[in-house]
Amino acid sequence: MLVVGAGLIAVLATRPPAAVTEVRSPLVGNPAPSIRGITVDGHAYALAQPPGTFVVLNYFASWCVPCQQEGPELVRFDFQHRQAGDARLVSVVFDDTTSAARSYQATLGATWPTLADSKGELALNYGVRAPPTTFLIAPDGRVVAYLVAPVTAAGLDALIARAKATGA
Amino acid sequence: MSRKHFPLWTVLAVVLVAALLIGGGVFSSSSPSAAARAAAIESVIRCPSCEDLSVAASSAPTAIAVRAEVSRQVAEGRSDGQIKEYLVARYGSAIVLEPATTGWAAVVWVLPVVVAIAAIGLLVLVLVRRRRRGDGDLDADVRSPDVDPVLLDERRRFLTQSLADADAEYLAGDLSDADYLALRQRDLTRLGLLASTSSTASTASTASTASTASTSVRDTPDTLDATTGTAASTDPSKGPATARHRRNRRFLLGALACFAAALIVAVPLFSSNRLPGQTATGSVNLSPSQQLARSLDQAAAVANTGQLGQAAQLYQSVLSAHPDSAVALAQLGWIEYRIGTAGSSTSLITDARAKLDQAVDLAPGDYAAHLYIGTILLAHDGNAAGAADQFRLFVGAGPPARVLAEAAPTLRTAFAQAGQPLPAGVPAG
Repeated sequence: MLVVGAGLIAVLATRPPAAVTEVRSPLVGNPAPSIRGITVDGHAYALAQPPGTFVVLNYFASWCVPCQQEGPELVRFDFQHRQAGDARLVSVVFDDTTSAARSYQATLGATWPTLADSKGELALNYGVRAPPTTFLIAPDGRVVAYLVAPVTAAGLDALIARAKATGA
Repeated sequence: MSRKHFPLWTVLAVVLVAALLIGGGVFSSSSPSAAARAAAIESVIRCPSCEDLSVAASSAPTAIAVRAEVSRQVAEGRSDGQIKEYLVARYGSAIVLEPATTGWAAVVWVLPVVVAIAAIGLLVLVLVRRRRRGDGDLDADVRSPDVDPVLLDERRRFLTQSLADADAEYLAGDLSDADYLALRQRDLTRLGLLASTSSTASTASTASTASTASTSVRDTPDTLDATTGTAASTDPSKGPATARHRRNRRFLLGALACFAAALIVAVPLFSSNRLPGQTATGSVNLSPSQQLARSLDQAAAVANTGQLGQAAQLYQSVLSAHPDSAVALAQLGWIEYRIGTAGSSTSLITDARAKLDQAVDLAPGDYAAHLYIGTILLAHDGNAAGAADQFRLFVGAGPPARVLAEAAPTLRTAFAQAGQPLPAGVPAG
């Protein structure tokens, strides 16, 4: 029993926590659920399927400190890829009021579509538990990465490069 | 098991099984309503953004969304399995509170049944063997002139044990006088037959036991045990029996080792990744206060490693469930201040101060919020007098000596700048 206990403790204790990296999701490798809804500005929005470019789908809340950490990184990523047209951002409000989210995005300088998701349907479709959560969707419409920690522009670029290398 | 009560056990078992079947609704023919079906599903679906709560028991927005989806799909006529599959395809298998019935997780369901069947089978086997040995087969064995010595020894041990059992049951009041005497007479007769069949010293010793066993009921078990020991020590068949015993023990140890190795490999292989705030070993059902304390400890541990974003996330989740947690408010406020200062975010610093003020309102005697507010007043606002007021409250709240020692340099600076005397208890440096 002691040996079993020690073995389990050793194996479990040496496992890296998944909080700072990609985690497994049943969606990864499968077609992305549809992304459609009303933006925080009141406009209808629907992402084409397949989207034709990489899409970074980011769930956030204005009250979420890690989201505030990654906000400037998302702005940087959007700026770098907007001209090239090879990747775009779509944000989804998670457990927050539309007005607070709109104000937050405006302060941040986010000009990409931000969906209100007031009933939490988009969060449910993607199995989101807490903000920030980010999905990377390949041009062919498959989900290729799922992250549950603040992202960086460089990190997203690395994921896109990896997806390209594997034929996405 | 008492021989006299054996039928009673059977009756009890039948009643128990019948009660379980009736209580479990096996014979119920009415189908549940849509609302009842939805409620049943919701009770086994985990709230995505909570810890150890079903969506039925949670009012979190994610739980509300899941409940709406379950109700919608029930109304559309989808089966329970289809609805669970839909959710598992998005959140993973951990969204279901009960283990899956397929794959490796099915072991959780199958193993108890297999073990129960094996245990019942073993019990039946033992009872049948005991009964068979106790009746005709034993007599035939002990009378046979060419019976195996090992078998004779086994029969002898069985009979001495049977005598000891009868004594114990008689003393416990489980056997009537007549039954006890009949059983005793039968076993003693058989021991006598064994003695006449075998000419070995051990058999003679057992026969001696048979003659002395009738002297006193209370003395019988000890006498028989001693006799069995003597017989075993002089029995020529001891060697093979011991070897078999060793083989069995080795087999058991080997099986246990294989099971342990498989467990160690399987747990990390088939367990899902940990999410922020989750422990490596999973969780048991804790009381709300225990859960709060554990969550705060986890957040503090993460904050101490410098992972402020993650720590803030954990404190935020604590506040989602416990909006009045002064500790979470104070700690999150302090983290926001540190992040806001590093990123020159005025809005974050403002938010941090609001949280710290709220923490003080909720728990004026909590030392942490006063320390943080005083530090902000001193470092951010340059308000040494205001900081000194807060630090006085901090010292008055009785912080742990370690915290007081760490804060002492800041306190000395504040009181020096304010031109005020250092409160008692603060190390002078």
